[in-house]
Amino acid sequence: MSSVALRTDGSLARPILIALAMLVAGVVLGLPLAIVLVEAFARGPGTYLAALVDPDTIDAIALTLIVALCSVSVTTVFGIAAAWCIARFTFRGRSLLLTLIDLPFSVSPVIAGLVQVLLFGRRGWLGPFLAAHDVRIVFALPGIVLATVFVTLPFVARELMPLMQEQGAEEEEAALSLGASGWQTFRRVTLPNIRFALLTGVLLANARAMGEFGAVSVVSGHIRGATNTMPLQVEILFNDYQIEAAFAVASVLALLALVTLGLKLALERRQSVLLTTKGSAP
Amino acid sequence: MTAAIEIRGVSKRFGSHLALDNIHLDVRPGELLALLGPSGSGKTSLLRIIAGLEAPDAGQVLFGAEDAAQRRAGEREVGFVFQHYALFRHMTVFENVAFGLRVVPRARRLPRAVIAERVTRLLEMVQLAWLADRMPAQLSGGQRQRVALARALAIEPRVLLLDEPFGALDAKVRKELRRWLRALHEDVKLTSVFVTHDQDEALELADRVVVMSAGRIEQIGGPGEVYTAPASAFVHEFLGDTNRLDCRIEGGRVVLTDGALLGRADAPDGTAVAYVRPHELDVAATREGAAVIRHASTFGPLVRLIVGFGESSLDVAMPVERWVRLGLAVDDRVSLTARYGAVFTRPGQPAVLLRPCIPMNGLRAVPGALGA
Repeated sequence: MSSVALRTDGSLARPILIALAMLVAGVVLGLPLAIVLVEAFARGPGTYLAALVDPDTIDAIALTLIVALCSVSVTTVFGIAAAWCIARFTFRGRSLLLTLIDLPFSVSPVIAGLVQVLLFGRRGWLGPFLAAHDVRIVFALPGIVLATVFVTLPFVARELMPLMQEQGAEEEEAALSLGASGWQTFRRVTLPNIRFALLTGVLLANARAMGEFGAVSVVSGHIRGATNTMPLQVEILFNDYQIEAAFAVASVLALLALVTLGLKLALERRQSVLLTTKGSAP
Repeated sequence: MTAAIEIRGVSKRFGSHLALDNIHLDVRPGELLALLGPSGSGKTSLLRIIAGLEAPDAGQVLFGAEDAAQRRAGEREVGFVFQHYALFRHMTVFENVAFGLRVVPRARRLPRAVIAERVTRLLEMVQLAWLADRMPAQLSGGQRQRVALARALAIEPRVLLLDEPFGALDAKVRKELRRWLRALHEDVKLTSVFVTHDQDEALELADRVVVMSAGRIEQIGGPGEVYTAPASAFVHEFLGDTNRLDCRIEGGRVVLTDGALLGRADAPDGTAVAYVRPHELDVAATREGAAVIRHASTFGPLVRLIVGFGESSLDVAMPVERWVRLGLAVDDRVSLTARYGAVFTRPGQPAVLLRPCIPMNGLRAVPGALGA
């Protein structure tokens, strides 16, 4: 009897829960996105375009793309190396490495930015040394890239680790025993086996890199046309009461994020198609 | 005859666990050698050390006369078939088999057409040419196994190493593939070493069997030899079903702990362990018999009995016809006689033959000692 009652509950609970989830996602996630686009075009496409061709905005977009390219490259190389180490070997400090990889998830990005200033800033630990050698990190591109790397570091590694652990080392060993070099094994066996997870990790890291505000805000110095990334540019425009321009830049940022998510979705589709065709029995 | 592979004093430790303890072994050219042992006996570690996938802590592996230590796994010309096949999941069957030929440095690499021809020939040999374009996930277990074999053979190895080659297959496929592999070995006469925990597999397939336990070699010998003349109690117990009986030797007589006479053996006085295989035990209907039939089941041409004897229960096996002729049933009292057996006086020592007593009173009861 109780199971029958439960089942009736279930048949009611399911649509209610689905509706609730949809509603929350729509209000909290979907609505802001729609408002950004609506506000951006509120004064017509002319104003929108004018806001985008502003030299400072173009510089901000370029800087954002450069920063994303640099930091995602670092994150990718680190992620593959770290995931490989952790999946293939047991070594002293393995759990320490795992904890460190998760650090950016738990520490506020603002703190990461502050640490950079304390380390590399004019009055920081390494400040005099850097000044003597004429190297600028804080309030310049290297600082922004470093802060973004801090924030994006876990994405690729976290995506790859469970997969590489599950796949095991046997295929790599088989390749080695068949005479492949280390590099051949990586390129022909390891990399193809992790390609989908790797791309997913890269896309997520990229989305995060382009959108990062906190850490970058501390180290950039907000120099217009030089160290302003898109999120910072949006804030400056907003504070200057240039609401339409702020929304225009925000819409480009949102668009880049949507493209990233779209790519991720397409990737997952393709992967599941590949898996099902592979899975079908002869 | 020089050995194809010579293993000299190889030891390997994983943390505090001694996986291999001073192993000496010669693999003869062209033979099919089985490494047989329970899990944790070190057999897979030994195979991986031969392949160069693991480095020994001490000792040497010689290929011909040459120390293999300087050669990486890929330079040993060893074909390795993994337990779970380790096929490259993103490559077709054809590409899997071709892999070892494609990764050769350009200067020594065969022309494309020659590679294609050799791969096709190998796939025909393992009867899978029609599956060349499939992905590994689309194959059955037995097919994957044969692709793994073709891939290992493609590099024309000097030695073929197989880790539990039939472990992941169901019983029927396993048997077919076992016969097929034996026939293939007769054809190509490639020096081969395979690891197994299945005694039937080792005894049916191998020219010689190496029985391993806890990182040591217990016995090396032909399949008949290790079965009939086990070098230790472990080997006897591991190869086939058996009954273990604690006993004493008293002036050449083998006496069980409860006083029953089991047989005779030429061994010095003292405690010992006797092993009698199920088919070496005879039952006879006896009203005052010490033993009682607890369970009987027909298993193909054999009837298997569980016979209660005092505190213990013994396995007995006999042909169905004999069981029918005896006309016995469950709960009947019987006497037991051992026709043969193996008596071990000390661990690690070879067996002394157990012979039946004359008259054959066997395990007949001392009155009053009938437990049940």
